[in-house]
Amino acid sequence: MLLSVEDLRTYLRSDQRLVKAVDGVSFTIEPGKTFCLVGESGSGKSITALSIIDLLPSGICEHPSGAILLQTLKGERHNLMTLDESTMEEIRGARISMIFQEPMTSLNPVFTIGEQILEALYIHYPEFNDEEAWQRALQVLRDVQLPDPETRIHAYPHQMSGGQRQRVMIAMAMVCEPDLLIADEPTTALDVTVQKEILKLMKDLQQRTGMGILFITHDFGVVAQIADQVGVMKEGRLVEVGEVQQIIRRPEHPYTQSLIAALPENLSRPVVEMQEDGAELPASREPLIKLEQLQIHFPVRKGLLRRQVDSVRAVDGIDLEIPRGQILAVVGESGCGKTTLGRGILRLIEPTGGRVLFDNTDITRLSSAKMRSYRRNMQVIFQDPLSSLNPRLSIEAILTEPMKVHGIGSSQEERIERAADLLRQVQLDEVTLWRYPHEFSGGQRQRICIARALSLEPSFIVCDEITSALDVSVQAEILQMLLELRDRRNLTLLFITHNIGVVEYISDVTAVMYQGRIIEHGKTEQVINQPKNSYTQELISAVPRIPRLD
Amino acid sequence: MTESLKRSRQSYWRRILGDTLVRWGARLGLIWVGLLALVAVFAPFVATSIPLLVSRKGVISSPVLHYLTPLDAVLLCLFLSVIILWWLPLGPGKKLLILIGIGLVSSIVAIEWVEPPRLIIYEQYRAAEKAGDYDWVLKAPIPWSPTDYLRDFGDTGLEGPLEDDQRAHWFGTEQNGADVLSRMIHASRIALGIGFVATGIAMLLGVIIGGLMGYFSGVVDMIGMRLVEIFEAVPTLFLLLTFVAFFGRSLYIMMVIIGITSWPGYARYVRAEFLRLRQQDFVQAAVASGLPLTSILFRHMLPNGMGPVLVAASFGVASAILAEATLSFLGLGLVGDPSWGEMLNQAVQSSSFNWWMAAFPGGAIFLTVFAYNLIGEALRDAIDPYLGKAG
Repeated sequence: MLLSVEDLRTYLRSDQRLVKAVDGVSFTIEPGKTFCLVGESGSGKSITALSIIDLLPSGICEHPSGAILLQTLKGERHNLMTLDESTMEEIRGARISMIFQEPMTSLNPVFTIGEQILEALYIHYPEFNDEEAWQRALQVLRDVQLPDPETRIHAYPHQMSGGQRQRVMIAMAMVCEPDLLIADEPTTALDVTVQKEILKLMKDLQQRTGMGILFITHDFGVVAQIADQVGVMKEGRLVEVGEVQQIIRRPEHPYTQSLIAALPENLSRPVVEMQEDGAELPASREPLIKLEQLQIHFPVRKGLLRRQVDSVRAVDGIDLEIPRGQILAVVGESGCGKTTLGRGILRLIEPTGGRVLFDNTDITRLSSAKMRSYRRNMQVIFQDPLSSLNPRLSIEAILTEPMKVHGIGSSQEERIERAADLLRQVQLDEVTLWRYPHEFSGGQRQRICIARALSLEPSFIVCDEITSALDVSVQAEILQMLLELRDRRNLTLLFITHNIGVVEYISDVTAVMYQGRIIEHGKTEQVINQPKNSYTQELISAVPRIPRLD
Repeated sequence: MTESLKRSRQSYWRRILGDTLVRWGARLGLIWVGLLALVAVFAPFVATSIPLLVSRKGVISSPVLHYLTPLDAVLLCLFLSVIILWWLPLGPGKKLLILIGIGLVSSIVAIEWVEPPRLIIYEQYRAAEKAGDYDWVLKAPIPWSPTDYLRDFGDTGLEGPLEDDQRAHWFGTEQNGADVLSRMIHASRIALGIGFVATGIAMLLGVIIGGLMGYFSGVVDMIGMRLVEIFEAVPTLFLLLTFVAFFGRSLYIMMVIIGITSWPGYARYVRAEFLRLRQQDFVQAAVASGLPLTSILFRHMLPNGMGPVLVAASFGVASAILAEATLSFLGLGLVGDPSWGEMLNQAVQSSSFNWWMAAFPGGAIFLTVFAYNLIGEALRDAIDPYLGKAG
């Protein structure tokens, strides 16, 4: 036994309310093993980890009960709950290290990575001289497979990519050779190909050093790859603990079952009504949206006179057709230009070249007044449900204002009636109309965003990563609802996402984007199951998957 | 409809107002400013040597009404309409429009019809009262006008608070013999007016220019920022001195100058907010819905970007009051009307230190500036959603 958590309770106090963030959690981690805590947002996974390493602000949190026993590989035993702060400091960073989700913000931007690694070393190993410490830092960067560590050690965080930064974070955590590594969603912010490498790296390091890993994630695909043991958390409690294969294949607790059933891979499509015309794309049907050599370049300006020295080719000549009633998924890693493409089609970002045809009309050169009448037919739903609703307006105002502008409904009463009807369609209560966005959860807000997009009765909607900020169960509901709405209203969707599971579930046709270009385009089953392009193959193979439920 | 639903239907600004008023600082500040506003509106009735009501041989008349200036009449009219409009179920925008309309109409009517006598002999009423011409007299709470130099009491001049047994001067008199409290009450109009009008002009300019800069960015932003820098380089106080030298002393010129030299601050705030908001998804969604530009700018962006501007404005009101006080203290203020700064100036001119001449107007300036700062502070806290109460 390396770490044993017994009946841990962590209550957080905010204003007058007491939140039971962790409510009686017990588990053990063996040396050399990985324990995964899985759960939806707000289930208390991160608070559990922060309680173990004692990083919660003491003013707002209390532990009514619990014991956290750490037995280091050297044989020392500590109860972390009762340790004084100075001993805890020796353990933190040396015996237990932590890596965080956001590699962009968890490194200090004003120090080189070498300085940041050395700082931890000097604190925990004051006996090291400069040369020894330097060699150790270089060694640990080599261990995390950072290319060219001798020069990279002098680099600043902004000079590295997200994956490289996460490697540096792991290096910082590993430099004192901890017995327990706590990783809080370490790959959530990374692309799948990078995620795959980081997960492999963590496995390798674990095999070499024999450390235990407490891995926190919401992604069952990742769980299936890295975990030995899994704990499923819900509302501060561990509802199920077990071996990874048992949890994923034969979950016992109904909550675990519902979580696994909600994964897009396991969702069943309601009715596949697309005509079965073999491997052929339904090109015979009239395209609603047609892109011809669409280009969106952002100028890079330098110098006193702001002369254009170069341009970033976010979208670099794309030809695409979306037939009426089809769902086209655009997949790609971050920075491939998929979001820019979606906004470019709607002219939220002005295209710099090429044409966008909507229903055979070139809308690229329309004046903004003429464009306004087309806006009614083309809507957008964004990724972040927090920022996509105006916090100052009631839902009623948000839904009825666009209708009023486009002359839908003859009176305000009629528009309110329509808005209430829309809310029912997205499975929300109609009293929602009189509330403000901050009163809703992320999933509810995303439903309101869908209602807003539908309020103008558009024929085409761009869905920009609309489920990435949501929990899987909510994601499943939203996706099912979208498919249903598509059937009922004959919508055409451009579905931008990085989640291959979602693509497989929702889309008819898939386009893979890489560096501003489309490198593969075809029927979804074909692209996912028999990718032709080498990049697509790499992308698909990097996606962590869980074996299908029977 | 349940109680919680009703509460959630409150408009955003009403919620902010509620959150602001929860704070003690804001309450104290608002009480002080409200008191000042009340006193400023009713100054001709609160502090005047002219009796409010007299009964001469059974005929009741109100001499004070004859002496009301057009400004007094407009202020009273506006005050009454504010109180009536407050209770009417109308949108805030409509209310403001109605108020502006009433203000315009009443000023035209007042300038046309209200004509107070040029010459005011304060002593005549006291003489008449002594002679027993009146059956009874209702006097103002402070029965002294700001320019009543008490000539019928002989050679008066500087007197400390309540020094004389016959005449009650709560805050003493200045060297000409005029009542200090009365002068302060009449001066509160200038203090309030210059603060609101100058800040209003600055805010209007700042929001429009800053909003356009932030929304359109690019070339508009570049030109706008150069304009901001040019105006920021103009020293307000010296410009005021110059204008006073050239065009004489006028309260309105002062308001306008303070206003057009202090808009760049607001413009910067609004620009920064708009640049941030422009990228927010809800603004993009508004564009995608084909909403007109005015709605995007003023309905979707401005209310979300007003927070810092309002806070800056409450501090701006305070600094406008200080600018006027500084000018008056330097002896370049208004001639006829008393102002707090000018009264401070009088305090240092006399050979001996007369504490009541410095303490009361100085205290009033301090309290007013402090009150605005308290309100600004509370507004900032109320607008910040992260400090707000959960739920």
